[in-house]
Amino acid sequence: MMNIIFLILAHWLIVLTLAPLFVGVITKVKAFFAGKKGPSVFQPFFDLQRLFQKNSVYSRTTTWVFRGAPIVNLAAVLLLSLMIPLGPFKAPLQFSGDILLAVYILSLARFFMIIAALDTGSSFEGMGASREAFFSCLCELALFMNFITLSLVSHSISLSTMIGADTSLSWNLIGPALLLVAGSFFLVILAENNRIPIDDPDTHLELTMIHEVMILDHSGVDLGFMLYAAAIKLFIFAGILVPIILSIHAGNPIVDMLIFLGGMLGASMAVGIVESTMARLKLNRVKNLLLIAVAVAFFGFVVKMWKG
Amino acid sequence: MERFFQLPWQVPFGEFSLKIDSLSLMFLMAIFILVFCAGVYAVGYMREYQGRRPMGLHIFFYILFSLALVFVVLANNVILFLGAWEMMSISSYFLIVFHDEKPSVRRAGFLFLVASHCGTFLLFLMFFLMAHNGGSMNFDLISHTSFSSGLAGVVFLLAIIGFGVKAGFIPVHIWLPHAHPAAPSHISAVLSGVMIKMGIYGICRVLWILGVLPDWCGYVLLMIGVVSGVMGVLYALGQHELKKLLAYHSIENIGIIALGLGLGLLGESHHMPYLTVLGFGGALLHVLNHSIFKGLLFLGAGAVIQKTHTGEIDQMGGLAKRMPVVSILFLIGAVSICGLPLFNGFISEFIIYFGLFKGLASLPLLGAFGCGLGIIALGLMGSLALACFAKVYGTVFLGQPRSPSAVEPWGKTSSWMIVPMLVLGALCLWIGLFPRRMASLAFLGGGYLSHTDLSSLNMGIIFIPLSFIISALILFIALMVGLFGMRRIFLKGLIPSVRETWGCGFSQSSARIQYTSSSFARLIVELVKSVLLFKREGGEVRDLFPAKIKLTSSIQDASEKFFFRPLFDRLTSLSKKLDIHSIRYTQMYLMYIFLYLIFLLVWKMK
Repeated sequence: MMNIIFLILAHWLIVLTLAPLFVGVITKVKAFFAGKKGPSVFQPFFDLQRLFQKNSVYSRTTTWVFRGAPIVNLAAVLLLSLMIPLGPFKAPLQFSGDILLAVYILSLARFFMIIAALDTGSSFEGMGASREAFFSCLCELALFMNFITLSLVSHSISLSTMIGADTSLSWNLIGPALLLVAGSFFLVILAENNRIPIDDPDTHLELTMIHEVMILDHSGVDLGFMLYAAAIKLFIFAGILVPIILSIHAGNPIVDMLIFLGGMLGASMAVGIVESTMARLKLNRVKNLLLIAVAVAFFGFVVKMWKG
Repeated sequence: MERFFQLPWQVPFGEFSLKIDSLSLMFLMAIFILVFCAGVYAVGYMREYQGRRPMGLHIFFYILFSLALVFVVLANNVILFLGAWEMMSISSYFLIVFHDEKPSVRRAGFLFLVASHCGTFLLFLMFFLMAHNGGSMNFDLISHTSFSSGLAGVVFLLAIIGFGVKAGFIPVHIWLPHAHPAAPSHISAVLSGVMIKMGIYGICRVLWILGVLPDWCGYVLLMIGVVSGVMGVLYALGQHELKKLLAYHSIENIGIIALGLGLGLLGESHHMPYLTVLGFGGALLHVLNHSIFKGLLFLGAGAVIQKTHTGEIDQMGGLAKRMPVVSILFLIGAVSICGLPLFNGFISEFIIYFGLFKGLASLPLLGAFGCGLGIIALGLMGSLALACFAKVYGTVFLGQPRSPSAVEPWGKTSSWMIVPMLVLGALCLWIGLFPRRMASLAFLGGGYLSHTDLSSLNMGIIFIPLSFIISALILFIALMVGLFGMRRIFLKGLIPSVRETWGCGFSQSSARIQYTSSSFARLIVELVKSVLLFKREGGEVRDLFPAKIKLTSSIQDASEKFFFRPLFDRLTSLSKKLDIHSIRYTQMYLMYIFLYLIFLLVWKMK
């Protein structure tokens, strides 16, 4: 019991401190590519601190749904963070079938974000909500396809086991399938967390935004919660990909932690490089990219079934 | 668990034999809960029609309908079953055509009647085939005889089509989207929540009687589940009339139930009892869950339609501020139907997913592909349903009112209507957070259906994950409460100010620039426009100066447009040709009947 509570607190501590840092590293990489010095790696912390001290402005049109969405969002990603292993710390919440709880808790958060966006009665948020609803359909398709392949590989339907927390995934046996899964999952990370080439997290033009425009009307503590939740979600998704790729288990907890942190650093740099070298896709091309992610995942499934 | 009851009955081949067992228990629970709630709701809903319409007739048929539903589930004899089935169809016809001054309602009712009887015709064939093979009209006695593989296959197909018409499988679902908007809301609730489940009950009963089925039957049900589910939710995305949209969602959920039943059948044919119990149990639990949250949604829709006098979503908006209780209850229904955690939809979908993943791991190649397809389809259905209900809830209840009908003053919603919705909402929450009771009943039903002995199985395989889910959800609620408190602390001493929505500098924002239901769903509908037969006319800018433009977009039901309407038109023209020789006088008809009776009498006397 105390073990579980210790694990829960350790998970939340790591996630709450490292997630904004993750976003800071991405910004630093993008600045480096642009030839700039860029903001400090700790800038997201200062932003959150500023937002938590500010007063909120609410729109006359909104109801309790608007005020409740940031809370649902942050609570959902905090719950989700308990389902993945972080370095040497095992996931405190793992059971057979927990991937379904993970996906559907995210869907619950997404549902509330979408209706909070429609709550403002503005066409900007409606635009973001409509796009988010559409792209999430394709993302979930790719996600489920990946989960099918991973569950066949690891013979379980628990997220921790599927990403190779306890036993390393055998890359030498099923390398091609895992490579396809990792590729498809990277595209899903970019899509679900609103990164280029699907969405631009820096611009504030409604024509180019999906996530940013949904939270356009939030302010103060609510906006702080939303940004924090977005950062934690990105961290968690990267935290799912890193153990799949770096399937190394040293017995030593410190070495495991260093491997994990190194992997997360590499993931943030990879995201930063992709964001710096690509432009945002035209909106009607985004669905093609997501369908490519689905196709790649499907091929991973076929390869796995072929190999037996 | 089974109990029998018998009464003497003079009908030839029939016996008044009733049986209640673990299978019928789930359906009976759904019937009693929903019929009672809808009945109480109707007291408030129908108040405005009192004195202007024959209410007694409506109440009479409602009671008859409820009795018929109970007898369909309890019947243990072919003749009793078919008699109750017919009574159910006919009394529901009279309930649907309550607003018979509208031609659309009359047409919808007639289509319902025709579809129901086409299905019943196949059921007659099927039951007589079974009774002939079993040598008796009693379900128990028939179930003890064995069916040859070919006969079992034929009976199965007849059951799928015959009961599928009532259940709403695609492509024989075409009466559903017309009947539900036409009927008064409490009748739509009972139709959608209970009557289409009678089709599922019939299929379950036939599966129980047949026992062993050929292998391909599971795949057929799985495919029907996948197609009905995905097509149902895609059609729903294109709808802008509230009750028609909810009707298409019923088709989607019937697809989920069929998916569970297909999984159970696959488990049966491959001798994997865990798959069987998970599949059938998940399907039966979804039967109960769907009747609860669909009933809640339809009753909520009725409350909205009663006040705004329109079913068009795009005429509503901002109703959450004017009907706060109804909006919260409708939200509960919407979250449940999307299968999101905290409510009951998630539990039954979780059980079916769990079974599908198990099947993916343990079935041979074709079965594994089928299960994989099922998982993909369920995931797709979930996300599309989320998009659809975000659209519905956002357009109806949130934002700004889009038309005068959403702004005009109206009184409070009657408590007669609110209390049943509260009961249904509370049930959704209860089953979502404490599913053990209902889940074990569903597994009992599933075990009974597949003649599996549950005591030999370790049901902890599903109950342990369910208990983890419950603890995770309680932690989630605690997190939400904690974050709410933290926000309170952060905002201590500060009073949030209230302004207009940030419009990026627009000073003349109007309610008309908000997203409508068709614009919200446009991205998805246009992706699959060839499947949905999406047509868009007008809307192009032609001239140099601003002028009035008209834009219409529509989707059409392919099964109705390409198969059934041409078929009905062909039949109508054929029967018109036979009409040349019609008799003009009623007296001639009477004379022919009289002559025929005399002929029968003479023949019998020989």
